[in-house]
Amino acid sequence: MSKRFLLMLCAALACGVLVAACGGDDNGGGGSSGGGGGSTSGAKSVDPASMNNAKGNVTYCSGKDTSGDLKEGIAEFNKANPNLHVKLVEFPEDAQQQHDQFVQRQKAKSGDCDAFESDVVWTAEFASQKWLMDMSKYIETRKSDFIPSTLQTVTYDGTVWGAPRVSDSGLMYYRTDQVKTFPSTWQELYKEAAANNGIVYQGSAYEGLTVDFLEYAFAAGGSVISDDGKKSTINSPENLKALQFMVDGIKSGAAPKAVTTMQEEQARRAWEAGKATFMRNWSYCYALSQKAPKVKGKFAVAPYPSFEGGGKASVLGGHNMVISVYSKNPGGALKFIDYMTSEKRITANAVKYSKTPTIAASYDDPAVKKAMPFADALRQGVENAKARPVSPVYPQISEAIFKNVNAALSGSTSPQDALKQADTDINNALATF
Amino acid sequence: MEAASVQAGTPTGRRSRGISERRLAAYMVSPSVILIALVAAYPIGYAIWLSLHEYSVRVAGLSRWAGPLGLRNYSNIFSDTEFWQAVRTTFIFTAASVTFEVIIGMAMALAMHSAFRGQGLLRTVVLVPWAVLTVVTARMWQTIFDPTLGIVNSILGTDTVWLGQSPEALIVMIIADVWKTAPFMALLLLAGLQVIPGEIYEAAKVDGATTWQRFRKITLPLLMPALLVALIFRTLDALRIFDLPFVLTKGAHGTNTLSLEAYQTFTANNIIGKGAALAVVTFIIVMAVSFIYIRFVGGNIRGLAEE
Amino acid sequence: MATTTTAEETTTARPKPPRKQKVATPKPPWWLWVAVAGIVVFCLAPFYWLINISLKTGPDLSGADIVPPNPTLNNYDSIFKNDDFVHALGNSAIVSLTTTALALVVGSFCAYALARLKFPLKFFLLGLVLSITTFPPIAIATPVFKLWTDIGLFNTLPGLIIPYLTFALPLAIYILVSFFKEIPKDLEEAALVDGATRFQAFRKVVIPLAAPGLATAGILTFISAWNEFLFAVTLTSTPKARTVPAAIAFFTGSTEFEEPLGTIAAASVVISIPLIFLVLFFQKRIVAGLTAGAVKG
Repeated sequence: MSKRFLLMLCAALACGVLVAACGGDDNGGGGSSGGGGGSTSGAKSVDPASMNNAKGNVTYCSGKDTSGDLKEGIAEFNKANPNLHVKLVEFPEDAQQQHDQFVQRQKAKSGDCDAFESDVVWTAEFASQKWLMDMSKYIETRKSDFIPSTLQTVTYDGTVWGAPRVSDSGLMYYRTDQVKTFPSTWQELYKEAAANNGIVYQGSAYEGLTVDFLEYAFAAGGSVISDDGKKSTINSPENLKALQFMVDGIKSGAAPKAVTTMQEEQARRAWEAGKATFMRNWSYCYALSQKAPKVKGKFAVAPYPSFEGGGKASVLGGHNMVISVYSKNPGGALKFIDYMTSEKRITANAVKYSKTPTIAASYDDPAVKKAMPFADALRQGVENAKARPVSPVYPQISEAIFKNVNAALSGSTSPQDALKQADTDINNALATF
Repeated sequence: MEAASVQAGTPTGRRSRGISERRLAAYMVSPSVILIALVAAYPIGYAIWLSLHEYSVRVAGLSRWAGPLGLRNYSNIFSDTEFWQAVRTTFIFTAASVTFEVIIGMAMALAMHSAFRGQGLLRTVVLVPWAVLTVVTARMWQTIFDPTLGIVNSILGTDTVWLGQSPEALIVMIIADVWKTAPFMALLLLAGLQVIPGEIYEAAKVDGATTWQRFRKITLPLLMPALLVALIFRTLDALRIFDLPFVLTKGAHGTNTLSLEAYQTFTANNIIGKGAALAVVTFIIVMAVSFIYIRFVGGNIRGLAEE
Repeated sequence: MATTTTAEETTTARPKPPRKQKVATPKPPWWLWVAVAGIVVFCLAPFYWLINISLKTGPDLSGADIVPPNPTLNNYDSIFKNDDFVHALGNSAIVSLTTTALALVVGSFCAYALARLKFPLKFFLLGLVLSITTFPPIAIATPVFKLWTDIGLFNTLPGLIIPYLTFALPLAIYILVSFFKEIPKDLEEAALVDGATRFQAFRKVVIPLAAPGLATAGILTFISAWNEFLFAVTLTSTPKARTVPAAIAFFTGSTEFEEPLGTIAAASVVISIPLIFLVLFFQKRIVAGLTAGAVKG
């Protein structure tokens, strides 16, 4: 009986395969697109002139608009542009879920989202799959508005694929009642932390750890992949210094063991419960910590110190507005993007919602300086920030980094072995077809 | 017996009343079959098709046959240490989880079986863990095992980073799953217990059997059918587990299961061919386990299809 | 005549679902109460922790207090003011009820055919139905998403109901087949003798007798549809069709990183409550229903 059943089942599945083969042509087909350097050559470009007579509906997809800046911007845009109507579709808060939701729609060639709020590290991945429209022509007209590092995040293969809307750079929060003068090097900071209540940061095995690790690594002079993007350079003495430093920090008690499970929120909670002297986190914690009774009024914010034997470094975060290649209204989408990334709008977002500006001029605005007293530290962070490796296989590279760094931090491998494994993993990733 | 139902004086009896049995069967079965074909068979067929190709992550639309025989993705998987670790983790999790669920479930069922007031209320209480969303269960256990703010560490007085270390994270995952599912097992076993006639126990007691002997020689054998059915559904569920590790640890620290590995490859890393192959391999493994069960349990399932 | 007598006997002596066997101890021993207490603590303690969190707001959430220092119903208040959540409750109710109703109909049809009718490939069908429980849901999600997008079922309630229905079938069919087999054939035979068609016999004789089995399959289906997460997140994009588990994924604090533990906990408590009441009312039926399955084989 079992044998017959097995045969029948195989027959059923074979039918399923046949149906799929006949129907599924979206991922099949041979054609490679352009040889030579430009794997994205031939991508559809959006003409700035198409903004002029744009009309109709535009759907903007983004992670949940928690602060309300998107909704406000959309309402104002709709009022000022009676011919266009922008609708907001929200994805879950988790960055990975936003990524998956967008990718799913693009794979299905769905015009559901005209434009999308993309994390800075997704540009290469999306552009190489030809899911984004080329926005170079548009950005040319206002290149000087944006801080160069933010434009770097939106450039791939010599082309610009989006407009930077919100930036972010990590900051060092510290307790002013426990730290008299802010240390000038990471080494001193950790000593200070060990003598007090320690430092908390994002050490869990996720993208946040890649950011945190690279902040140390870049400062120590290390890098992840070679300039031509073909080889891994992660197994270097500089990176080893940085990783060893992090591991020793946990051993010496400067950072609690629990840091290996912390993401942004866990670190913030430990900090707000008064259990840490230092916290590495994004700018959003400032306003929230002002409301926490245990730390209120007792803390300040500073840019990162330098790494002994190296320099200063920070890693850029943020979001860019990109246009889907399946959009039915690219002109309308572009007009909306033009409005949302205008100096007026970005400055208003900084003042009202503490959104880190991508436009240099915003930082000079007195209202912004008043609303965000740490604006200067933030600007420094953004201008000097380095981007994470730009590559279509970035998700795998990041996984190689955070998985192995986390293993070293939790003590299950030595820093040397961790970097060796990361090197292998990254080279495997770069060899992906 | 057919003969007893034949209308008096009509040799062809049933056939002349309504449509034929086969036709009726076809009508009654077709909605299920159509749904299954559409929602289950087609996606699996599609996944198999995808798994025979490689789709470029760097160049849009570029794909090729994963030769030889379309099996390159599969050979990559079988030579990948991460895959075998995921297999190990999945099987260890399944074995441990199901074992504890059976033991705890059995204990709960035996306790509930004894008569006392408030049985209905107890049964409801017992189903509470099963009624809570898996993703919420995971968050809940995350806070309970939090190294600094969690209640486990304050009671034990330790500072173990439960979800950040290799065997501990899997242990927490097993605890969370057992908490959620043992009650459900308990109910299935309770139902089985309630069919066992009390007289058998009375007779055994008269013969001088101890509690343990009564359990071993009466309860267990008579409970076997219910136990085996509960086992198969639970085992197949545990082999495919995704929600729990996804929320608890995203697969880090030795909690990477097969489903999670497939998700990571297919969706997060966008390696479509290999990801689909992983999903197909998961499917085959689970199928194989269910076949093994059916061989052992055999009569139970086959009996359903027999006249 | 023999036939009539048997028919009479069987119609008057309607089989009852198997009786609960009462163990003959008049008073429960002390250790039983200990065991019961243990069970209650085991099941409810983590749930209590959830309620505990749901009554806290702000910085309290960063603390590990067993009893909320400043208990407040703010979280419950805010989730009910959240239109999306209330709408999601409605969606969940519609989807779960429809799925359950359809699963009972479609499942009982298939189960009856399997239990009573003669047709080829029976074992294959049974195996096919049971094998659905071996499919990894993630393998299903993306192709269904694509298919739904193409035919326009994406982000609709029917788009959710159809997969839920399919995945509810295995357990429902299994339970119902076991149950139908419990029912003596004589009753249907009698109905056929009286001139009913097969289908009428099914409708009027078998179904009423299978009520406990239907109740069991119904509750199990309802609960799994109510709690389903993966498809809910994959196949919906706006509150129009979103159900509660997916809606919880959208709960926010005031920033993109902030995780509102308090409101998530409150929402979890709220959506567990209908299930608890459902189970409270029907738990007798569940046990009776599952009993039938256990007897077979």
